[in-house]
Amino acid sequence: MIPLAHQLLRLACWVLLAPLLPGIINQVKARVAGRRGPPVLQLYYDLARLWRKGVVVSTLASPAFVILPAVAWVSLLGAALLVPLGPAGAALSFHGDVLLMLYLLALGRFCTAWAAMETGSAFEGMGVVREVSYAVLSEAAIVAAVLALCVQTGSVSMVTMLAPTAGAGVVLLGTGLFIVLLAENCRVPFDDPTTHLELTMIHEVMVLDHSGPPLAVILHGASMKLLLFSLLLTQAIVPLAQHGPIAATGLLAGGVLAVTLAVGIVESLLARFAYRRVPLLLTTAFLLCLFALLVAWKGGAS
Amino acid sequence: MTGPLLVLAVLLFGTAVVVGQHWPRPWLVLTLAACLASIGAALSVFAAAVGWEWKSHILLGGESLHLRLDGVSALFMVLAAVVGGAGAVYSCEYWSDRHYPESAPRGRSWWSALVLSMVLVLIVSNGLHFLMAWEAFAICGYFLITLENQKPAVRSAGWLYLASSHAGTVCLFGFFTLLAVKTGTWDLGPLREHASLSPLFWLALAGFGMKAGIFPLHIWLPSAHANAPSHVSAILSAVAIKMGVYGIVRFSGWLPMPASAGWVVIGLGATSALLGVAFTLAQNDFKRLLAYCSVENIGIILVGLGAALLARSHGDAPWGRLALAGALLHVWNHGAFKALLFFGAGSVLHATGTREMSRLGGLWRTMPWTAGLFALGSVAVTGLPPLNGFVSEWILYLGLFDAVTDKQAAAWAALPVIILLAMSGALALVAFTKAGSMIFLGAARTKPAAQAHECGLWMRAPMLLLASLCIVLGLAPIFVWPAISRAADAWSLTWAGQTAPAPLLTLGWVHLGLAALIIAAAALLWKKARSRPIRRAPTWDCGYAAPTAKMQYSSGSFANLATAWFFWILRPSRTWRRPHGSFPAEALLLDRVPETVLEQAVLPLAARIMQVSSAVRRLQHGRLSAYILYVVAGLAGLAVLVLLESAS
Repeated sequence: MIPLAHQLLRLACWVLLAPLLPGIINQVKARVAGRRGPPVLQLYYDLARLWRKGVVVSTLASPAFVILPAVAWVSLLGAALLVPLGPAGAALSFHGDVLLMLYLLALGRFCTAWAAMETGSAFEGMGVVREVSYAVLSEAAIVAAVLALCVQTGSVSMVTMLAPTAGAGVVLLGTGLFIVLLAENCRVPFDDPTTHLELTMIHEVMVLDHSGPPLAVILHGASMKLLLFSLLLTQAIVPLAQHGPIAATGLLAGGVLAVTLAVGIVESLLARFAYRRVPLLLTTAFLLCLFALLVAWKGGAS
Repeated sequence: MTGPLLVLAVLLFGTAVVVGQHWPRPWLVLTLAACLASIGAALSVFAAAVGWEWKSHILLGGESLHLRLDGVSALFMVLAAVVGGAGAVYSCEYWSDRHYPESAPRGRSWWSALVLSMVLVLIVSNGLHFLMAWEAFAICGYFLITLENQKPAVRSAGWLYLASSHAGTVCLFGFFTLLAVKTGTWDLGPLREHASLSPLFWLALAGFGMKAGIFPLHIWLPSAHANAPSHVSAILSAVAIKMGVYGIVRFSGWLPMPASAGWVVIGLGATSALLGVAFTLAQNDFKRLLAYCSVENIGIILVGLGAALLARSHGDAPWGRLALAGALLHVWNHGAFKALLFFGAGSVLHATGTREMSRLGGLWRTMPWTAGLFALGSVAVTGLPPLNGFVSEWILYLGLFDAVTDKQAAAWAALPVIILLAMSGALALVAFTKAGSMIFLGAARTKPAAQAHECGLWMRAPMLLLASLCIVLGLAPIFVWPAISRAADAWSLTWAGQTAPAPLLTLGWVHLGLAALIIAAAALLWKKARSRPIRRAPTWDCGYAAPTAKMQYSSGSFANLATAWFFWILRPSRTWRRPHGSFPAEALLLDRVPETVLEQAVLPLAARIMQVSSAVRRLQHGRLSAYILYVVAGLAGLAVLVLLESAS
């Protein structure tokens, strides 16, 4: 029974804590701008409200329009359960789990994109195209980062890949992954999660036509994705295995908080990029991860 | 057991060729029975400890008959039989006597002949007989592609196929003849100890690569796949091009390899994967799109084979075995989902009469089965969990990652290839989001699209079979692992007996869990959404209510962003007529993506050769006086040569 309780606790962690991060980011943005801002728990209220609401579906959309957000949510949850939580490890760990995680994220993207295309809206089509096309570059960057960690540790399983000391390329890797985090979670400077009517948006535009419980599922999934990337980034650059379980947990939580604060500060200080410059920034992230890979390779060879 | 089943299969196929001319139903029964017999023969090889071999004294073309069925050929035989059977059922409705009274009987006979000749290619073990079977296979393919031979586009596609196919066969003639000269016999088999044979591999790679559609040699593939009837496209893409892969796998296992073979094959594979998917992305014709996607998948398979070759030259490293197993499993997987997608494409074509995605849209309403099955195929072809495409790509990735952690020279191949594969996977997602959504989602863009109809049971049943194969191979890969292992063992004898290192059982359970969770979550959300009546309203779209169907994102605009990165190879041509004046009447924008290698390299070269040839031909005009002048001039020239020679 203990392992089961353990897994349920882990599940609860992911499901219940994830919506906290967007609240923290919004709070940071408000404070930097000198406002009071919405409560940190705002997303919880929003989710509860949406879950109780009815659904409006486009006349063009098929039943899959309602179902696909659930599939996307499950794939994000599956990816999340594969990510180790510091000393607590992952729900399931095996040789090559990191690839499964990457492809589960892709499955989530695929489902969101199909659901958006259901509406036949050119606006949403535009968002889909940007989302899936930029994902090519961010995928390359993530894979380069994974290869760097893999060369560093000689392992293809996340629990062992993320545990030991970060190599010499930690700054490169951290910066690259942080840029990917911003792009994949649709934060400034790639996308602006607060607007709805800008032609430069990517992700938000894909979910314009969703409403009620499906929208709640999408928003919750997005917050899990943010938590997932923050955890990955933290564990990739902080050598948690050198510390005891309690200190490591503390460090992990601190790291996630720091990443969240950094996202908030970046959003307060930067404007959104013109969308033509987005590939350039993502290519930079890819190159940073590639250099981290080369550094790891040289480090391992000497 | 294997021998009698094979004889039965060959006899049944042979009878089906004759029967197909007149009696559709008995033909179907015979073909299906023959396919089952072939599958049975292949399974009996998987079950037995060693492969099946039979040498007889029957002479054919002066050579005694030598048949062999081992793990590698059995693997391809299962694929040929499954797709051959499914396509036969599909063609009963898709290419029926009622719609095509003239070509349907021919189509049935050539179909059985094609599957028969592929089975023969797989079992003969004599160079001369291999060439005969190979030629028969190529010709059957030609007659199937040109079933609709009243259309010029079909005829020219068939001609291109035949020409390219024979260019490849020329290489194979050279390959088998030189092999026979050097070894003193036409008999084929493991010849690893003859080190002097290794350069012959390049000939085999070129000859079989032409059939497989490796990137610069793929020129025949898009037009043949697009213009052939869809069940023929399915077997071309799922099985026929795999025969090229079979040749490369077979002879790279049997012959000694040049030292650089692994590097070249993995490089070609990565190039085909990335450029194949770039062309996939840019297509507007959905059958051409699927054809280019085959180039990509052949690239993925070759990456695995190249890694295996590298591993063999690195002291038989275990990661090579893993990569090869991934590649071989991908042969099956690609066969299943690509045939499914081509069948789906066929039923769309059947219902709407157009292959252009920018004329379709909203078909899910009238064709829910096809839409659902095409979506499933798209998930599989994109390599997403929990379906079969992911399983083989994952095993292949594991092999490559292990090569990286091994930190030998091969890691320098594995590192860039992993990144390229990941990018081509992401690009495939773009391409299939585009294909699925342009065809099936949104509003119908034209009248035929609005008036489409669902395909009948005969077309749906084979699609359901292939879809369930995609699901089973995805959820329970452990069941096919023994067969894949056996094939990998048969490839290289030194690898026999090693255990499977891949944690496939874990992956299978994860996939099962994932599938269960997806169903549960989808059911829950559906129930929750339905708990109050769902309100239907026009697409909100930030306030632009009810735009026309033409204002939807089109296939060109969808691919615009990502194809811009491949401008250097795609070289799209654009025809513009901008709107003019205060009351613009009409405007035009036509984008066309050429088959770059064919239109910008092969055709100009061919035109140049024709120019030179016709210039030379002017010498031959039939005027006797001039011919006498040639003779005199030639003699004079020779005399001058002789004089110069004696003077020096």
